Amino acid sequence: MTEVTTPRQALLEVKGLRTAFPGEDGPVVLVDRVSLSVHAGETLAVVGESGSGKTMTFLSVLGLVPRPGRVVAGEVRFGGVDLVQLAPAELRAIRGAGVAMVFQDPLTALNPVFTIGDQLVEVIRAHRPLRAAAARKLAIETLERVHIPDPSRRVDDFPHQLSGGMRQRVLIAMAIALGPKVLVADEPTTALDVTVQAQILELLAELRAELGMGMVLITHDLGLVAKHAERVAVMYAGRVVETCRVEDGFADARHPYTRSLLGSIPRLDGPPGEALPAIEGMPPNLAALPPGCPFEPRCFLGRGRETCRASRPGLAATDREGHASACHHWSELAEDAA
Amino acid sequence: MLRYVARRLLLMFVTVAGMVTVVFFLIRAIPGDPATYMLGDYATTEAVAALRAQLGLDRPVHEQYLGFMRRAFSGDLGSSVVTGQPAFAEVLESLPWSAALALAGIVVAVVVGVPLGVVSAVRQGTWVDMAVMLGALAGISFPVFWVGLASILLLAHEVRIFPALGASSSADPWVQLHHLALPALVLGLSVAAYIARLTRSAMLEVLGQDYVRVARAMGIPERRIVFRLALRNALIPVLAVIGVTFAWSLGSAILVEAVFSRPGLGSMVLKAVFARDYQLVQAGVLVLACAVVLVNTTLDIVYGLVDPRVRVG
Repeated sequence: MTEVTTPRQALLEVKGLRTAFPGEDGPVVLVDRVSLSVHAGETLAVVGESGSGKTMTFLSVLGLVPRPGRVVAGEVRFGGVDLVQLAPAELRAIRGAGVAMVFQDPLTALNPVFTIGDQLVEVIRAHRPLRAAAARKLAIETLERVHIPDPSRRVDDFPHQLSGGMRQRVLIAMAIALGPKVLVADEPTTALDVTVQAQILELLAELRAELGMGMVLITHDLGLVAKHAERVAVMYAGRVVETCRVEDGFADARHPYTRSLLGSIPRLDGPPGEALPAIEGMPPNLAALPPGCPFEPRCFLGRGRETCRASRPGLAATDREGHASACHHWSELAEDAA
Repeated sequence: MLRYVARRLLLMFVTVAGMVTVVFFLIRAIPGDPATYMLGDYATTEAVAALRAQLGLDRPVHEQYLGFMRRAFSGDLGSSVVTGQPAFAEVLESLPWSAALALAGIVVAVVVGVPLGVVSAVRQGTWVDMAVMLGALAGISFPVFWVGLASILLLAHEVRIFPALGASSSADPWVQLHHLALPALVLGLSVAAYIARLTRSAMLEVLGQDYVRVARAMGIPERRIVFRLALRNALIPVLAVIGVTFAWSLGSAILVEAVFSRPGLGSMVLKAVFARDYQLVQAGVLVLACAVVLVNTTLDIVYGLVDPRVRVG
């Protein structure tokens, strides 16, 4: 399958997206002016600690922010329209068919009282006016595409009859059944065994190439980023703090938070018995962010520095092309590497 | 699925046998001699002895038990001491009245309770939700006999929509249904209140599940999600409760039957207790218990149809 798309033409473009929940002392901003883009045939990894706003960003993209939260600003360009402005019914038509999402825990993501075939057919018929038999045929074909053995028999299985890896395959089948342009995989392998993890990621890569999709891989596993993504966005406290291409710079980060994250990956070739460096302190309370840089209290570079405490740095270009960092002192990290 | 049904039926048979045993020994655990009790204080010794022989009370307990079991399973539960009619036949005669009332009550309860519970869960926190829950609280709080009397006053006396009497000897099924309507509504609405609350909380829990979020992310319309994908899950606990409610509504049926002067098992057993007609009480209780077991077994099977995970168990 040869999809001809100019690499710079973004399939999905998020600009200045802001999502907030009402709090006791004013709104709590979970996603703060996030800008990202997803290109055809490319994987964007979104990394960060729990609660950094990775998942919430993409729930906002799909208009699935749980009440009483809502998107308060920004736009989401997809197929020439702004998803934020769409009416609920129009947005529903895009969910699953244009932009699809695979979630973290395959054990709870399937409805226990319907067969996997029923659930696939439900998704297919929500978007296409097919008869039951035709939808079932498409369901079986889709199961085959995600390499479920003996799909014409498995289609009548209930979720509890399948292993975790198989269930994740079924969920991926639901997500790709209608040939979406963008697939968002939210920690798709966190709940699975390591061996199964590799198979699922391989499957996703295969489908991406086959369907020419743009992919978003939300993860906190930095090990996956280098292997499975072309670009990376690092999130902290609801904001993107660094974006760059994986090949030229992720290992040589321009933001102290990314540096610290990379430092806390366990290595087999490291000295035995040595304690793993952890990032000091706790992720910030989003309801009471300091006026300066949210990472300042935990930062090895800027802790206590006046600039960091006084003003919040925005995402700005660095010395490398396509590499942006939200740090006042990124250049010190660059010198450091040189 | 077939093995599941077979297991349920076997279990039902065992339960019934257990109940026959309990009924047998319960009667014998009552202090004093049943025959003396039945014949009253002025009975002659000969009369008592004759009745004891007639009832088989002069034989050893284990022999009585085996005989009782054998007869019970062949449908012979002795004869009413008052009317001399076979007790089982008497019970069977009043069973349809009670069964119709209890069944109609459950139908009303489900038809009214489940949709109200769903609506109130989907509109959680709005005035619709509050109104439904307030209504449900009232339905649970008011005693069924009071609601019965009030409804007769309102819907049979002031506004004459329904007959005040809960039964008719007419052979026309429509007339019968017309008479059944008000008692069934009264019985059903109190159960509906309970079912509405239960459906609401089950639905709220299901709507918070991951698979509902997935369904939304896949662009399945909300109506489909609520009424098909979520409702089937939410009905599992509701089904389990309907079985229990059925036993409860057979009990309440006694009150409803009394208020509406309707014949039925409840009023029959009540009369039999006052008349110390033990054979009839025994038969009545047994049939009532069997009805409850039968309904619960049926629900167990339906349960297996709804939730594939229980079929294995």
